[in-house]
Amino acid sequence: MQHRSVLSGLVASIAFASLAVGSQALAKEKIPRLPNGKPDFSGIWQTTSAADYDLEPHSTRSDAPPSAGIVEGGVIPYLPAALEQKKRNFAARETEDPRLKCWTLGTPRGIYYPEPFQVLQRETDVTIVFQFGYSVRTLWTNDTLHPKVTDNELYLGDSRGHWEGDTLVVDVTDFNEDTWLDRAGNFHSPKLHVIEKWRFLDENTIDYQATLEDPNVFSRPWNIGVILHRHREKNFQLIENYCYTRDFDQYYPVPAKE
Amino acid sequence: MSHTILPTVLRSALLAAGVAAGADSAIAQDATAPGGGGGGGIQRERSFPAIASGKWTGKRLRDGQPDIQGQWSNTIANHNNWTDPQGGVPGDPNPRAIPKTSRAERAPSRVSDPPDGQVPFQPWARAVQQDLLANFHNPTRPEYVEPLARCAPAGVPKSFTWHGFEIRQYPGIVLILFNSGSRLIYIDGRPHLPESIKLWNADSRGHWEGNTLIVDVTNNNAKARFARTGEFASDKVHIEERYVFDNGGQRFNYVATITDPTVYTRSWTATIPVRRYTEKDEPDGWHYEVEVANTKDGHLQHEHPERICVENNGPFGQVAVAPPKKK
Repeated sequence: MQHRSVLSGLVASIAFASLAVGSQALAKEKIPRLPNGKPDFSGIWQTTSAADYDLEPHSTRSDAPPSAGIVEGGVIPYLPAALEQKKRNFAARETEDPRLKCWTLGTPRGIYYPEPFQVLQRETDVTIVFQFGYSVRTLWTNDTLHPKVTDNELYLGDSRGHWEGDTLVVDVTDFNEDTWLDRAGNFHSPKLHVIEKWRFLDENTIDYQATLEDPNVFSRPWNIGVILHRHREKNFQLIENYCYTRDFDQYYPVPAKE
Repeated sequence: MSHTILPTVLRSALLAAGVAAGADSAIAQDATAPGGGGGGGIQRERSFPAIASGKWTGKRLRDGQPDIQGQWSNTIANHNNWTDPQGGVPGDPNPRAIPKTSRAERAPSRVSDPPDGQVPFQPWARAVQQDLLANFHNPTRPEYVEPLARCAPAGVPKSFTWHGFEIRQYPGIVLILFNSGSRLIYIDGRPHLPESIKLWNADSRGHWEGNTLIVDVTNNNAKARFARTGEFASDKVHIEERYVFDNGGQRFNYVATITDPTVYTRSWTATIPVRRYTEKDEPDGWHYEVEVANTKDGHLQHEHPERICVENNGPFGQVAVAPPKKK
């Protein structure tokens, strides 16, 4: 990862900036923890942001409410050719967004997509079940490294996490190119590299930050951030949304006897 | 992930898409390799031990649940045939897919009750099942395509006959990750979802009694079938599952009582034997589709890559339609 030093600097600055939020000492005592003392993010989470409509700032339009976006600095730093591709994606977004076919959303899009996801956590791994498509992502926290051989096949990427204090830092690599970053056609190549930072603001709120870099698409690493809220409704649960079956589920089941 | 994932994915593909691709024959041949059922390929056993419900003396998790986490797979066969699991799909046009063994030499029916090993279909439902089977190899209408071939979730109970699967446990929850679809089983006493919600993998509420996980399964959309032989339920079906674990932690028997007065003449029971897989086992591309994790000290540790059905199913549409483009 030749950009690691640049990234480290950026990540550090995000962490520093987010220290300003909330009363750290108070929150620290109340957050749930695993037996090993690490924060326990188990629960069902969802953003209230409009990030999935368009990561960048935008006025109201027929397919999106207005939003200041979640990109630090407001603009995704596309390389010139990639910017042209993004514009083509935007023009074709009403038919080409992979979400319309219920394809796996990818990382980080699954996190800020407006459907709940469930975190199930052990000391060795963090499992995320997304209601949308019911896809499952494992963030390994068992001291393993990325595979030695990568082949750009993964929708959700290969996720290796470690703890920096109470922050879960996850390095995600080895993507395919079949996911978009939002409904506006923002995209990446298989060279996408994501560094996520998960941190409790309080026991019901997660501060989620991510740095994205992709030498094929972006001129430099860039940052996003969303707040995730815990679903606290009584007996709230995910309802499997295998929406990719919609094209054919009319043919099933066998009709019951009249 | 690693170079070995592609063959794994393709192999699943061939199995999943067997109807359309004829690729199925490779597996059928494999499964019936020398001596027929129970001897070769993915068919590891022709018979299996009963496991009695009783006390759990093994390891427990911090919330008191028996610790049954890890990788598992059925020991008998895939979903080719529900009642003659090692018998192939009747009518298979590939002669090599027809087992050379007699019925008595193959594993018993997954229907453990009634004693005749047959699903007690009402006459109309038997006719439907026979029609689905007769049209399996050459589906001329969309409903003849077995839904798993479109990457649909394999459903309850068929998921237990489709590749290996992984169980992860958490306080109040048992999570099962199948090759095609996942199930979150709540064991915290909460009520089922409203009846009007129907799901591919249904809605599961469980509790532990000694060595047995008992799961009440409702809200089934019944779109998944039990096997390529066309057995089915309706969305009125109620399934009570009993996962009976041996105290050595190496096996369990899945025993499901299936009740649906709109389709069957009586309740019936399905039994599927399952064994554990660990680092002591060689990954085999079907039961145990793990990768070698990149550990810092080089010790052997297996992990399962992401489970997303991508294979050979392009026209049908699924979570991830197109096979990834190779660079």
